[in-house]
Order: sequence, then structure tokens, then C-alpha cells
Amino acid sequence: MTSDESWIARAKHRGPRTLADGSAFMLAVNVAAFAAFAIALPDFRSPANLATVLVSSLPLLLLATGQTFVLVSAGIDLSSPALVGLVSVCGGLVMSADVGWLANHPAAVPVGLLAMLATGTAAGAANGFCVARLQMPPFMVTLTTAMFAGGLAVWLVHAVAQTETLFNLPEVFLALGRHGWVDGPLAVGAAFVAHVILARSLVGRWLHALGYNARAAYLSGVPTSRVIVCAYALSGLFAALAAVLLTARLETASPSHGRPLLLDVIGAAVIGGTSLAGGRGSVLWTAWGVLFLAMLGNGLTLLNLSDFVITIIKGLVILTAALLDQWRRHWRTTSASVADTVIA
Amino acid sequence: MTAHRIMPRTRFLFVLAAGAAVVLAACGGAGESGTAGDARSGRLTIGVAFETLQTEFWVAAWNALQARAAERQITLLEAVSDGDPAKQLDQVRTFLTRRADGIILVPKDGKTVIPMIKAANAAGVPIVLLNRPADATDAAHTVVAPDNATITRDTVAYLIQQARRSNPRVKAAILVGDLSDVNAVGRRDGFEAAVADAGGSVDVVARIPTDWNQEKALAGLQTALQAHPDIGLIFSSSDFMFPSVKSVLSAAGRWKKAGEPGHVVLGGFDGDATAWRLMVDGYVDATGVQDVFFEVDAALRAILDATQGRIPPPRIADPGFVLTQANRASLEARTWGAIVAKQGQ
Repeated sequence: MTSDESWIARAKHRGPRTLADGSAFMLAVNVAAFAAFAIALPDFRSPANLATVLVSSLPLLLLATGQTFVLVSAGIDLSSPALVGLVSVCGGLVMSADVGWLANHPAAVPVGLLAMLATGTAAGAANGFCVARLQMPPFMVTLTTAMFAGGLAVWLVHAVAQTETLFNLPEVFLALGRHGWVDGPLAVGAAFVAHVILARSLVGRWLHALGYNARAAYLSGVPTSRVIVCAYALSGLFAALAAVLLTARLETASPSHGRPLLLDVIGAAVIGGTSLAGGRGSVLWTAWGVLFLAMLGNGLTLLNLSDFVITIIKGLVILTAALLDQWRRHWRTTSASVADTVIA
Repeated sequence: MTAHRIMPRTRFLFVLAAGAAVVLAACGGAGESGTAGDARSGRLTIGVAFETLQTEFWVAAWNALQARAAERQITLLEAVSDGDPAKQLDQVRTFLTRRADGIILVPKDGKTVIPMIKAANAAGVPIVLLNRPADATDAAHTVVAPDNATITRDTVAYLIQQARRSNPRVKAAILVGDLSDVNAVGRRDGFEAAVADAGGSVDVVARIPTDWNQEKALAGLQTALQAHPDIGLIFSSSDFMFPSVKSVLSAAGRWKKAGEPGHVVLGGFDGDATAWRLMVDGYVDATGVQDVFFEVDAALRAILDATQGRIPPPRIADPGFVLTQANRASLEARTWGAIVAKQGQ
């Protein structure tokens, strides 16, 4: 077979790849959604509303960014939204002027922030250890971590503060969530760093290799266990950053923060084009997914649709994205086998 | 070759984007009338954000708000946050960007609502908290809420009186609500006050935490009844937990009507349709009723006053009332649960 014939054989299978290329596709979908809502709803395109869309999506962006690392490594982290509640409570127990260990102390905010980030990262690393070293299924590990973290957060608040939520946090800390020019650059900057790590660094390449074929990656010298622990630890770290934003924004440390976001977190990554099977994903794609979900939620709310209808539509969109991911994997497998046949 | 590859793909994406835009725009155009447009048409627009619609009380309040708003030619922007305060904060911000004239809010708790009140204050939009007050804050708002402690104290005093008819020493249990909700705290305090007033004739053998969850109520009450089979009085901090109470008492052979041997004196709070039906059937002795119609009217009136330059009071108390077997017939028309029950027939 000539090289031209080989090219033709490959080109016949190129069509579905148009839908498979996450970034361009999601950019187009976002532009379409923005244009549609902006044309139909004058309130949608008002600067104040667009700021609301962007600011409200920041915690989801952080959580979905962390999730992207884990998904690319062919794992899944169901615990990150629950970790938000635990991390929030840990911060409150340090900083709250009512019951905090460092109440009204000048070091309360830096120590509180460190405690929050350390708690999230440690919990994520523990997840990674169980998955990598103990060979436990990610689904089971992170689900039980979610239960443990949720229960521990409620217990801590009850046992230490005899209350349900912690209030009276330092003003300096609250400023992190009060002004878009503070939390916006913080979240976008963290996501950008994550994008560079995943797309440009050796660790990122290892994560992709691991997710695409774990055995091949191991045989090629990739330190698979350490890479997996790193992915989950990063997911925990980004959950902690999301907890910082949510706690500051709501001026309250609560075990319930973050819990309703699980489906949106995985949905945003999958909508962006990150594969549930691993080996494929990008923080930039995830950011497009987050933006799309945020615009969709806001636009449908402006249409005065009931919350139930909005939830149904979001569920359908995420289901469609998962189907697209499945189709993409199927196409990739069949196209590789066809190309091998043609070359042979 | 590269050009040939890129052109069809770009064209495809463009067509896809344009198609999606047309579809979404069509949906948007269809939905716009009667929503955002009203904010500019001179008709009063009020944003209504509920934390949940999962109990009869909140559904009744939601329906009453819609009916009263329609009577007054007010457009409602509606949102439900499913217990997520971050989502509710976004909903409030969306109301503000849509230039709502006022906001009526049912918050998840008294603390996370404070940034929402501050956001409304910053935009100069009056905000009313329906049924759930905020914690102490200097941010301006109006609260329309029942006097939980007083209504509960009166209700439980009546229940104790009924229970002591058959046994001078009463063993009692309370299903406590989610204590991050001040309503649950008020009802628990009212219960304890009534028990204290009874002067040692009531022994509270179980204080069952439920977090407003029926499964927890069921499991907790099962355990309590196994440990104390002679419990003679049960107070449920909300009527929506009566099905759990019925399930446990039925399994224990204690689901008896008032006047029958072995009857457990039962009371609750809310005055919902389930409680009303159980009262009509004779199983429930009394319930403290929140006057949902009063609360909705007061909330709308507070917004209207604020939009007309009058400052509404910071707190409007719903006096409520105790519905008992004795006064049931005379108070039927004021009991929202009775009306809901009739509509469901």
C-alpha cells in the first residue's frame, strides 16, 4: 500500500476526531452558548452578571482542576467536595474569633491557611497512597474518604465548638472571597500553574502515560506509585484552595461546604474533554467545561426555569459529554486497529 | 494538505456553534417574556430564593407566595438552592444583576445568609428572610418568623396535660431538628421550657438528633423505644417526621388513637397536611401551627413598604397557634395543612 492510500485510510476516520478534540470543540460550544444567551437575554451580557458568572465558577474551577490530574491518571476522586467541608472546618477551628485556637491572634490567618492547605493535601496524598501502594480501587478509596471527611468535619465542629458552623473569621481572610480581584487571580493563577504542570512538565507526561497504559508506563521507567500519590495530593490541594474561597465567600466555616458540587466537578472535566478512562485531558479543557456549566446555569436561571429543570438539563449535558467520551474512546481504538491493518 | 484538514473542521465547528446559538437563542427568546423584561416594564419584580422545597411547609409557602404575588401583579424571579449556600449566594447576585426590587429568602442557616444580606444592602435592595432568621448582624434586613419557643412551649404544655391524665409521671421523647437552624433550637428550647414548667412530672428519656432527616428520626426513635418501651409522649420538632413516628410505633404495637389503651400522646410543629390528617384520624393530639399565609403576606408587605420608602420593622413575629383536638374545627380555615389536605383529596 502506498503512503497516499495509507493517508486516505486514516482520513476516512478523521471525522469523529473533530468532536474528539476537546479544546476547539468546547471553545466553539462556549462561544455558541455565550452568543445565544447574550442575544436572548440582555441581562446575561451585563458586566455585573458576567462578573457573577466568572466569580461563582471559581471554586468549581479549582475542584475540577484537581480532578483533572486524577482523571488523566485513570483514577477518580469522589472525595474532593467532601474534603472542602473538612478543610473549611479546620480553617475555622484555627481562625474563628469565637472558638478558634488562634482567635484574634496575628498569626491566625497564615496558620489557618497553612492548616487548610496541609489538611487537603494530606488527605489527597492518603487517597493516593491507598490507590498506589495498597492497590485499592480509586472509587472505593475516595468514596470512603468522602464519608470519613464528612463525618470528621461534623464531629470536629460539634466536639470542639458545640455548634454546626464556625463564624467570626478574620477580616483579612474574608477579603479573599469578598472581592473578585482577589479570588479571581488566585484561582485562575492556580489553574494556570496546574495547566503548565499537566501540559508541559515531566510529571504531566508521566500522568498521561500512566493513564493511557499503566503497565507500559511502568515498564518505561515511570515512577507510577509516586505519580499517582502526586495526582491525588494535587486534587486535595486544589480542594483546599476551593475551601478557602468558599469559606471566605460565605464568611462561615461549615462541614457542608462543597458537598453539592461532586457531579459538577466530574461533569466539568468530562464536558471539557478529559477522558474518564484516563490518558487524555487538560486543565484548559476543564476550564472550558467549568465556564460552560457556569454559563448554562446562569443563563437558564435568567430564563426563570425552575431549579429542577436546570438540574435535569445539566445532567443531560454531562451525560452527553460522557457518551461523547465513550464514542471517542471507541473511535480511537477502532482507528488504531484500522491504521495498523492499512500499514501492514 | 494542512489547509484541506483545517478548513472542513473549522467550517464544521462554525456551523455547530451557529446552530447551537440559534437553538439556544430561540429558547431564550421564548423564555424572556414575563421575566427579565418585567424588571424594566414598571411592574414590581421580587427575587424569591428558597433553600429547599422538600417538605410540605416550604411547598405551601412557595405556592402561597406565587398566588399572593399574582394577585398583586408582582413578577417573581424564582430559585431553589437545594441546601447549598454558595449556590444561593449566586442566586441572590443574579437577582441583583436583574435589578429585582426586593428579595425574599429562605436561607439554609443563620450564618451563611449574612453575605447575601450584605450583597443586597450594597445594591440598595430590600431583603426579607422568611421563616429563618439570621445570626446577629448589623446588615439591614427584615425577618418574618414564628415564635418557635412560645408556640412549642404551649403545644408541649397541652401534650403533657393530656399525657398526665393517664399517668402522673410521663416518660417523654423529643425528635430534635438540625440545630444549625434557629427554628430547631427555638422548638427544642420551647419543649424544655414546658418540661421545666411541669415541675418534675416529665422525664425526658430521649432527645433524638435528626438533622431534619426522616431516616435518622426513624432509627433514633426505634432505639429510644427499645430502651424505654413505656414512653408516653413524643414531640416531633417538625410534622414532616410523623411518618417515621408512625412506622416505629406501628412496629411496636403502640400506634393507637387518642383514648385507646396504649396511646402515645403525640405532638409536632408546623401544622402540615400529614399532621392535619392524623389529627382528624385521632392519632395526633396537638401541633403548633405556623401561619404560612400570615408570613407570606408580611414578607410581601415588607418589600412593598421598602420600595415605597417606608422602613419595614427588623422583625415581624408570626404568632402562630396551637391546634388541638378541642379547637380543630374552629381553626381549620387558618390551618394551611388543612387546606393542602383538602386540595389533595
